[in-house]
Amino acid sequence: MRERVVVAMSGGVDSSVAAAVLLEQGYDVVGITMKLHEDGADVPDKPCCSLDATSDARRVCEQLGVPHYVLNLVDVFTRDVFDDFVSEYAAGRTPIPCVRCNTFTKFRDLVVKADAIDARWIATGHYGRLMDASHGRVLLRGRDPLKDQSYFLWGMPKPVLSRLLLPVGDWTKEETRAAARRFGLRTANKPESMDICFVPHGDHIEVLREHLPADAAALSPGHIVTEDGRVIGEHPGFARFTIGQRKGLPGGVSEPWFVTEIRAETREVVVGPRSALSRNTVGAHQVNWLAPVPEVGAIVQVQVRHRGACVPSTVMRADAHGIDVVLSASVQGVAPGQSLVLYDGDIVLGGGVITRAGRGALPVLAA
Amino acid sequence: MSHPPVYLDHAATTPVREEVLEAMLPWFSARFGNPSSVHRLGREARVALDEARERIAATLGAQHDEVCFTSCGTEGDNFAVLGAWRAARASGRSAVLSTPIEHKAVLAACHQVAREGGTERLVAVTRDGLVDADDFSAQCDAQLAVASVMWVNNEIGVVQDIPALTAHAKACGALMHTDAVQAFGKIDFDMRTLHVDLLTISGHKIGAPKGIGALFIRRGVMLEPLMLGGSQDRGRRAGTENVPYAVGLALACELAVRERETEGAHLLALRDRLEARVREALPDVVIHGAGAPRAPHVTNLSIPGTDAETLLMALDLRGIQASGGSACQSGSVGMSHVLQAMRVAPDIASGALRLSLGCMSNAANVDRAADVLITLARKARGLATV
Repeated sequence: MRERVVVAMSGGVDSSVAAAVLLEQGYDVVGITMKLHEDGADVPDKPCCSLDATSDARRVCEQLGVPHYVLNLVDVFTRDVFDDFVSEYAAGRTPIPCVRCNTFTKFRDLVVKADAIDARWIATGHYGRLMDASHGRVLLRGRDPLKDQSYFLWGMPKPVLSRLLLPVGDWTKEETRAAARRFGLRTANKPESMDICFVPHGDHIEVLREHLPADAAALSPGHIVTEDGRVIGEHPGFARFTIGQRKGLPGGVSEPWFVTEIRAETREVVVGPRSALSRNTVGAHQVNWLAPVPEVGAIVQVQVRHRGACVPSTVMRADAHGIDVVLSASVQGVAPGQSLVLYDGDIVLGGGVITRAGRGALPVLAA
Repeated sequence: MSHPPVYLDHAATTPVREEVLEAMLPWFSARFGNPSSVHRLGREARVALDEARERIAATLGAQHDEVCFTSCGTEGDNFAVLGAWRAARASGRSAVLSTPIEHKAVLAACHQVAREGGTERLVAVTRDGLVDADDFSAQCDAQLAVASVMWVNNEIGVVQDIPALTAHAKACGALMHTDAVQAFGKIDFDMRTLHVDLLTISGHKIGAPKGIGALFIRRGVMLEPLMLGGSQDRGRRAGTENVPYAVGLALACELAVRERETEGAHLLALRDRLEARVREALPDVVIHGAGAPRAPHVTNLSIPGTDAETLLMALDLRGIQASGGSACQSGSVGMSHVLQAMRVAPDIASGALRLSLGCMSNAANVDRAADVLITLARKARGLATV
């Protein structure tokens, strides 16, 4: 009896290849495309979907001779991912909806569906790897550092690891494309999608405008101030800014300004010179662990943004509710709302959502 | 898979009957003429088309010139509602009247009426999906151009009292349309005694191919055409006629009418058997519209604690082909507007499955479908849902 695997298929090349590889390996493959948001809202009666991506996934499955289904997860995605995206920006933070989608939509909601059809396994086209360790299965970075997506995967429930398959995690993007061509998949040469799926033109302000009240603070003008409180200009709404951003600020006198802080309560965007971006303490909440929780005082590697540097750091707090680390070297542009991910070599230990970042020693918090 | 698949989606579409296909074939190739051509091939096609029209008219109890070919049920519905309303505009009748449980082809046409400056009226329905006759009659007045009510509901199979509703619409001088796509071949009617002005049928629900239907247009009823161009179909529908499909539709209509009684009794027995089997195992099953008269071929049921999307997927993986509320273009399952209008609780409505019987149904496969459904539903109830 072949083991059944549900492959989450976005219609892109990575998940298409994942499905083809698993079929070749002898799995009973079921392709599933998750419908996460309404498309074509400008068409009368919102005749949902007709997404090209869904059609691509369906055609790949038809070519492979495996079933394909579309699951409507619009309501739960809106609740767990989209609404959070809007409220985080409204609070002056810089959310990563992909993390929450992986945490909730893919690896919680999809797993429930997999159970209902007796699928032992769940697979995606993510660039990450899995390995059996003494304490169970662990998640590793993808082999290709340029494609590694482990930074977005730390939030998945740990029990999912034991039934997860990541068939392309060992490959570079080029190898995946080569496999797609070998399988003759129509998605082989599909361009990479970098945008957040529900932010069509990469302009999150458009999305916020639609979903926040017209007078929302995040979209209302405010002061641009220096760290010593000097007003140097006006901005059209702090949701347009993230920590470390240079675009949209007045020219500096001698050196350029960068956003160092967003103060939602006073609608102030705080700026400083590049040197003012340096942070060596980072704290996070909404924590999840995928490996044994490191002890206080342990040295781990820390990453605070996608493709950011991985910095050796000392754990000051690590439990079910919070993480605090002190970095051995300062990093620039640590934005609340982004993820703090802890690694042991390539192994993802866990992570959390960044709440604060500072300079200097962090007080040791009671465990 | 050890068992052949069980098709329980006849209300979605049916296979083309062999005799229908055979009748159509010559008209694709050897006898391919355009009915408007003056030469021999054209004449031949024209005769075939006229004959097909007459045969369809005969199955309806209509005159041949009252049958207008369409490309599908949706076109028939659009043409009836929009065409009638647009034609009546000049006379000051600006309203259309329909129900919230219509096919989208009618509802969207009514929305279009509203966009073009008309008034869209909807009648209340009962919890069993029956049109409230008092409300219907109260909304029939001198402003009403056309009323449209689906005879047999495509999702729940509930049968409306079309003769009674027609009387109300006619009494106020409005036109009456019914979408009879699911009713044709299931309900006995004759246009000589039934006073509706416009009636839609569709080929692929009765063993003709997808892409052909007909609209009955009573003599004297004026519709503004949707298709403009040549004078085909008396100027009501421009465009070269689909002769092979018209020939196929004619035979499918004749067969459906000829077999109506025996087929109806057969399907009713199967449906009752299916429902009884499910109810025996899962006594809390909700059968939508069960308190109203229903056509024999459709059952729409919810098993509390299950959701249709997951169940349909699990059923398909076991070879049972059914459908949910309203399929959308992506293939995902949306909430049924019909069940919503019937005030079915959302958690029950989201579990609704439509099982529809037809030419491919028999006792053995109905039993198997019921057993698989029962197994899956029991399993689903043991699992958490999203």
